[in-house]
Amino acid sequence: MVDHTYRKKRERCVTGIEGLDNILNGGIPRDNIILITGSCGTGKTTISLEFLIHGALMGEKSMFISVTEATSKLLKNAIPYEFFDERLIEEGMLTFIDMPALYEKLGLEKPEFTFEDIDVLVEAIGNIVKELGIKRLVIDSITSVCYRLKTEEKIRSFILRLGKLLSELGCTTILVSEISPMEQRYSMYGVEEAIADGIILLSNMERSGDMLRTLQVIKMRGTQHSRAKYVLDLTDIGVLLVPMLKGVGGG
Amino acid sequence: MTVALKVGEKLEKMPEASVLGIKTSINTYFDVIQGILDNFANARGMDVIYVTSTVPATPILNALKMLDIDLTNTYFVDCISNVLMGRGEEEENVLYIESPTMLEMIILKVEYLIKKTSRHAERKKIVILDSINSLAIHNNTKILSEFLHVLTNGLRAKDAYTVIFMLAEHSSEELENIVAFVCDDVLAVEVEEVE
Ligand SMILES: Nc1ncnc2c1ncn2[C@@H]1O[C@H](COP(=O)(O)OP(=O)(O)O)[C@@H](O)[C@H]1O
Ligand SMILES: [Mg+2]
Repeated sequence: MVDHTYRKKRERCVTGIEGLDNILNGGIPRDNIILITGSCGTGKTTISLEFLIHGALMGEKSMFISVTEATSKLLKNAIPYEFFDERLIEEGMLTFIDMPALYEKLGLEKPEFTFEDIDVLVEAIGNIVKELGIKRLVIDSITSVCYRLKTEEKIRSFILRLGKLLSELGCTTILVSEISPMEQRYSMYGVEEAIADGIILLSNMERSGDMLRTLQVIKMRGTQHSRAKYVLDLTDIGVLLVPMLKGVGGG
Repeated sequence: MTVALKVGEKLEKMPEASVLGIKTSINTYFDVIQGILDNFANARGMDVIYVTSTVPATPILNALKMLDIDLTNTYFVDCISNVLMGRGEEEENVLYIESPTMLEMIILKVEYLIKKTSRHAERKKIVILDSINSLAIHNNTKILSEFLHVLTNGLRAKDAYTVIFMLAEHSSEELENIVAFVCDDVLAVEVEEVE
């Protein structure tokens, strides 16, 4: 029997990454706040950027908040996409913000945030999203923000409040999470993954000496999805995905 | 009839999205390629994606140029150069894969070339897999069979032609079976027919 309540169509935020939209049955359920997690060099920033550029091209205002890398450097190196058009930035469809600049503006240049500081930061991000009419947001990375939050309670409070606010504003959000290659969890503090509506795991996998980049949707509230492992290729026309071959049984 | 004509004629009779296995010996190898490129693909203004795991792309390119075959719309996916000689000079129109065991990367590079060549002109595509035997040196039959399935299904969905080479000298019944399983037809090019 088909469960109609579950199947009731939730509006999708089409990522524009064909393979990923297929895995997610049409895209990320709109207003979700999800985690893209993986170790260094697995493609988190690249995929997040592609998500934003496609959004901007489809007429949805998109914003990238860079925490670790200066956006000027990011723009110079990290956008080899053929479909990227400088005009998206000039016309305000695609906005880049440096988190350190925001910290400075808010007087948050300190090693550890208080609960009040969290309020200030969440409100500031919410205001920007509201004022600019942002529909897609990426924070790269949430892990770097968490360094200043320190405790599980604060991390929980920050992500919950941010998620609620952004969701009310109709904004679909990707939080980039950095983990070490051997990490057993999907996030540095464990809290992030529990609160997020979805988790997309990127990995570098070794298979008999070959290095493959892989992608797996671990969870995604609001949609049915494949949990299979996919091999990915980062190209100038975007991320391409194919199911990992199993080759079970030897031969 | 020459081998090239015979191959061209065979493909002409097949509808789009077809998969053809070609069993050829070393003697007729270049005649088969000529048949696909000259008598079929170039004659019809198609894009050719040539996946090689047998011989590196450079010697194949050079040999085809010697035969005066137009390679303007031919692209290579080379999965053997790195294994045989390490990273060397890279050719234009050739994508390199580190190892023939990275079967998923073959599928992804083929998809890339199809998308990349589709954006400006709506040209039909033909993908040549040369050869199942050399892939079998590096992969077990189970994963090869799965690979052929995923590859050919994807190409059928894109209305592309697929040609899979089987080298008669290195063939086995098991390999011929997994190829036959995904093919609409298999053409055996007999050595006797060479003029
Ligand atoms: N279009 C592309 N073509 C080829 N390689 C790419 C492309 N985009 C990114 N890369 C490479 O992929 C790697 C991972 O990039 P990145 O997204 O920064 O990873 P992460 O954010 O997970 O650390 C980098 O080494 C980068 O050079
Ligand atoms: Mg990054």
